[in-house]
Amino acid sequence: MTEDIISLIRENVIQGRVTQDDEGLDEGLVGRPGVTELIEKALAKRLDVRDIINKGLTEAMNLVGQKFEQKEYYIPDMLASAEAVGVAMEILGPYLARSGIKPKGKVLLATVKGDLHDIGKNIVMILLRGAGYTVKDLGNDMEPQSIVNAVREENPQFLGLSALLTSTMVNMRDTIQALEESGLRDKVKVVIGGAPVSEEYAKSIGADGYGSDGFQALAVIESLTST
Amino acid sequence: MIRKGLAGGSYQPLTEESIAKIDQTVMAVVEEVGFEVNSEKALQLFEKAGARVDREERRVRLPQAKAMELIGTAPPEVRLCGQEEKHDVLLGGNRVYTGTGGTALYIYEPASKQTRPATLEDLKRIARLVNRLDNIHLFMLPTYPNELPIEQIDANRFFAGLDNTTKHIMGGVYTLDGIKQVLRMAEIAAGSAEKLLKRPLISMIACSISPLKMDANYGDLVIEIAKRGIPLVCPAEPLCGATSPVTLAGNLVIQTADSLMGVMLTQIVKPGTPVIFGSVATNTDLRDLKYLAGSVEMGMLNAAGAQMAQFYHLPFYATGGMTDSKVLDAQSGYESAISNLLCALAGANFIHDAAGMMDFALTACYEKFVIDNEILGMVMRAVDGIKVNDDTLAFDLIKEVGPGGNFVAAKHTRRFMRREHYQPSLSDRNSREKWEARGGKATWQTAGEIVKRLIAEHKYQLPTAVRQDILSEIKGIVD
Repeated sequence: MTEDIISLIRENVIQGRVTQDDEGLDEGLVGRPGVTELIEKALAKRLDVRDIINKGLTEAMNLVGQKFEQKEYYIPDMLASAEAVGVAMEILGPYLARSGIKPKGKVLLATVKGDLHDIGKNIVMILLRGAGYTVKDLGNDMEPQSIVNAVREENPQFLGLSALLTSTMVNMRDTIQALEESGLRDKVKVVIGGAPVSEEYAKSIGADGYGSDGFQALAVIESLTST
Repeated sequence: MIRKGLAGGSYQPLTEESIAKIDQTVMAVVEEVGFEVNSEKALQLFEKAGARVDREERRVRLPQAKAMELIGTAPPEVRLCGQEEKHDVLLGGNRVYTGTGGTALYIYEPASKQTRPATLEDLKRIARLVNRLDNIHLFMLPTYPNELPIEQIDANRFFAGLDNTTKHIMGGVYTLDGIKQVLRMAEIAAGSAEKLLKRPLISMIACSISPLKMDANYGDLVIEIAKRGIPLVCPAEPLCGATSPVTLAGNLVIQTADSLMGVMLTQIVKPGTPVIFGSVATNTDLRDLKYLAGSVEMGMLNAAGAQMAQFYHLPFYATGGMTDSKVLDAQSGYESAISNLLCALAGANFIHDAAGMMDFALTACYEKFVIDNEILGMVMRAVDGIKVNDDTLAFDLIKEVGPGGNFVAAKHTRRFMRREHYQPSLSDRNSREKWEARGGKATWQTAGEIVKRLIAEHKYQLPTAVRQDILSEIKGIVD
């Protein structure tokens, strides 16, 4: 029975079905329980939260990643699956401490000053939530000082900065400098991304990491989490 | 998703008035000029059917009313079946299917840029390859096994097809005895003669000689195949300025008249027998009179042919998708794409030669089958058109997302992305960095890797018992 619910959770994450009203990828799924209903059922049955996360959610996302690598899945498929995991993690939130599970950490995301482009940042947000991070989106066109204030208040482990334009990417450097001036730089790891940005640029402005796309961003943050 | 049998018709090079004028001219040719018929049997059949026959000139002239009556008995739709039912096609109307063509004498190998004579083994391997290429719906036997004597050609070609792909097999035929062997083989494969008539696993082609001439052998082949009730294509191959007037309209008159001559003969032999009106019409290089396979006019002529077929309510066999290039280069790509696209958008029922052919149709190439499969996928997507309804207009979604939002994570995107957008199987869509990191391959190299992967799995498609029966009964098959 335990295995049944968990394997159903896995299947529905792969289908990207948050609730029973979602259609997923295959035909004829509407009306069957989605991830929300299944997680609630699993909790009612007092299944081990660690099993739900590891054997259900994480394993499913690994399979989704493989499908993406094999070109079977597209970004919208990945996002649907990640969204399902994000919703599951939200429901599981209050149970994590009780089960002795350490939260993965908090990430603040922002598109820097002068830049209104947020598709990339929003994709990163969905993927991070899907991987179990707590994510707060600060929004677009964020002044360095506003970002510094948010870091001080929220005390995140990670700060993700995004820019689409060559004219606004310089504001990433200004933001990192502002963090240094306020003495917060070593409290938070800064990861940057966006079309004009590169690994080299990240190094040159003193960022801790660079993600060439949403999945790379997640991978970089995962690797910085474990160090 | 596999797109086949979708309705074309958005490209119409001929107006209704043009179609009517071509028809009137064709009928005048049939009635006043007539055909030279060199088959005695065919001559007698035409005479019995009410044609005016000039024995001295061997000339057959048919009154317009008689011609239209004969054309009218031909079925408007012809079903061609595969060994697997999912490969069945129903030619007619403006439904579009694609297939290979033939018959090439050589194989081009892009790595060495050399050609060599095609063998029976090539035919088997190409059949295996095409069996796995989803955008090629029919298998016409594309190569000639140069190592075999002519009396073994027909049986070996059709056996190579039937044993290596479950798609429908169409092929040109070379000898009367060969036809008989092939028909017997197909009966064994289908289960019986009756079952073969119900589910024709094979069909044949017999070409007339343009302009307006039926050669003795061709007439006899047509009569034999029609008697047996096997679907038959009667294409004509007029070349602008050589075997037809240089004008496209004049070419269409000759192509239509020549193909109708074959159609009419089949209906005299056996009213209602399945027959396919066909065109291999093209132009010629007027510097040396070479047959051209990659010209834009060829695409236009065959698109117009589709309209003429629709006018006469006959299923249509078109020619498109070839190139005159000697290598897999830009010319090879654009020539193949343009004529395939024009034929498909016109609603040509079966575009033959749509994959694998190059170099004036003399040469076939493994990699090109894979490249053309990709072209055909894109072409069929274009045939599919743009669906406009409340779901696809997506007003509610636009309202929900609002200014400055995005559609990446919307359920609507996921629901429609696979149907609305062709998923390439060959084209490179990597960034320059990624493409370089993966070896910086040209299309033909990637196609070569796909060829290797797809022909690696070898499996006899005929059931073992059927295979054994065929091999023991039909002599001369090289297993």
